[in-house]
Amino acid sequence: MSTGNLSRLDPEEVARAVTDFINTTIMARTRPVRPDDDLELAGLDSMALLKVLLFIEAHYGFWMPDEDLVTDNIRTARAFAAYICRRSA
Amino acid sequence: MQALWKREGISNNTLMVVHCDGPLDHARIGRALDRFLDFCPWPSARLRRRLPWGPLHWAAGARAALAAPPVRHKRLSSPGALHAELEAELNAAIDPRREPPLRFAILDGAAEAAGLQSALVVTWFHPLMDPRGGQNLLAHLAHLDESDGRAPWGGAPSVFVTGADPRPLKERGRLGRSSQRYMRTLVPEAPVSPGTGLTSPGRVRFEQASFVGDDHGLGGVRSTREICWRLALVGSTMADLWRRRGLPDLPFLVPVSIDLRPKGEPGATFGNVLAFHFARFKPSETADVDRLTRALRQQMTDALRDGQIDANAVAMEFLKYRPLALMLRDLPGTATRETFSFNCADLADFPPALEKLFGRRVTNAYHAPSVLPRPGVGVFFNRCGIKNNLVVSWIEGAMETQEVARIIEAIREGMGWRAAH
Repeated sequence: MSTGNLSRLDPEEVARAVTDFINTTIMARTRPVRPDDDLELAGLDSMALLKVLLFIEAHYGFWMPDEDLVTDNIRTARAFAAYICRRSA
Repeated sequence: MQALWKREGISNNTLMVVHCDGPLDHARIGRALDRFLDFCPWPSARLRRRLPWGPLHWAAGARAALAAPPVRHKRLSSPGALHAELEAELNAAIDPRREPPLRFAILDGAAEAAGLQSALVVTWFHPLMDPRGGQNLLAHLAHLDESDGRAPWGGAPSVFVTGADPRPLKERGRLGRSSQRYMRTLVPEAPVSPGTGLTSPGRVRFEQASFVGDDHGLGGVRSTREICWRLALVGSTMADLWRRRGLPDLPFLVPVSIDLRPKGEPGATFGNVLAFHFARFKPSETADVDRLTRALRQQMTDALRDGQIDANAVAMEFLKYRPLALMLRDLPGTATRETFSFNCADLADFPPALEKLFGRRVTNAYHAPSVLPRPGVGVFFNRCGIKNNLVVSWIEGAMETQEVARIIEAIREGMGWRAAH
């Protein structure tokens, strides 16, 4: 994904991209998550969280700072997407 | 095994203790275990070398030649006898060259007001499985017990061992060498540990305590579920020990295990399914736990970004157990026979699917791994239902019991937990 049009990010598209990343690199193939699933309940641990942060850095061009790693921003793929879109607006 | 202790008969055992609300039937467990061997030989494997100079690997014969691991049954005379029995299990080192790499024991408690309670104890030679693997084995046995007479796993047996890394040998070799180079740069000097100076190690001991209290999930200012936060808290208790003993302010070197299984399903049972990250921080940096957590998170992120965790994973191979030997060859303290400053791991949740086992309800479950004489101490977390379990394992001579008690109390206070009854 290009990082040149961050101000026009579509939250649905971002949620789908984050969900796809989690399902292809973290989750078992038989246990995919959906955008509104609680990621910690789905089994994501500290290392998995860091993988998602690296994905965001690589695809959206910024690092989520420690102070933003609050439950409201990381509970679900959609929450990540909302944060990414806010940060990029 | 560290060369220093090669002929000392050091235990590499690890325990999983599962408390149940009533007596367990050892014949049921024996039957499930025997049936499991129809699908998977590894509980009866032996550690072998193909050639005297070759690498160690697990080997198992044909089904007819496989004998199920032993299931011992014992009635305890008093409630206090359980702990002594568990420590004896931990110290009765399994020699996987000559005996099965795991064994079971059912320890029936003395009659109590709540009735007779049992503890199921699974003891294994730790390279056979990691803690999650031990839980998976138990889940498989429980499934076989429940599906007695029917085709288990819906007729499609589970995957018990992780498949081989599909990457070409050349690529794996490159990653392995990269991991070795990285490990040599971790800390400038050999770390010290409570076991430094031990030349004649004592028995393995452990203390377990259960607590209740809210954990703060991933995210939030004090994300107490996060391994970096827990490691920072444990590091602060170790720094206190260092101060009391007058140990130097050299960087701690602590291995952090990372479960490589895909999330959402149990994954493999046998073999190594872990990679290691190596956390480094000085005792003097532990005063501010939140700040240290951020620094440790940054270290872990850098290791992930640089591919070091993937490279470490490549260095681990099932059926050719070499990880510890590899670490000991490449870590900065090898020359002085030091390894790590202490061990620390969060062994996560005991699977909710195992709330019933062989017809009994599970009331608590925890792991008690042995630690090597150096570092001589390890702190392990896990959860079972609402209980937060804390286990401190140590080597006699490296730690005093009052030092262990101080560590447990400091962690309880730091986590904001209260004793579970």
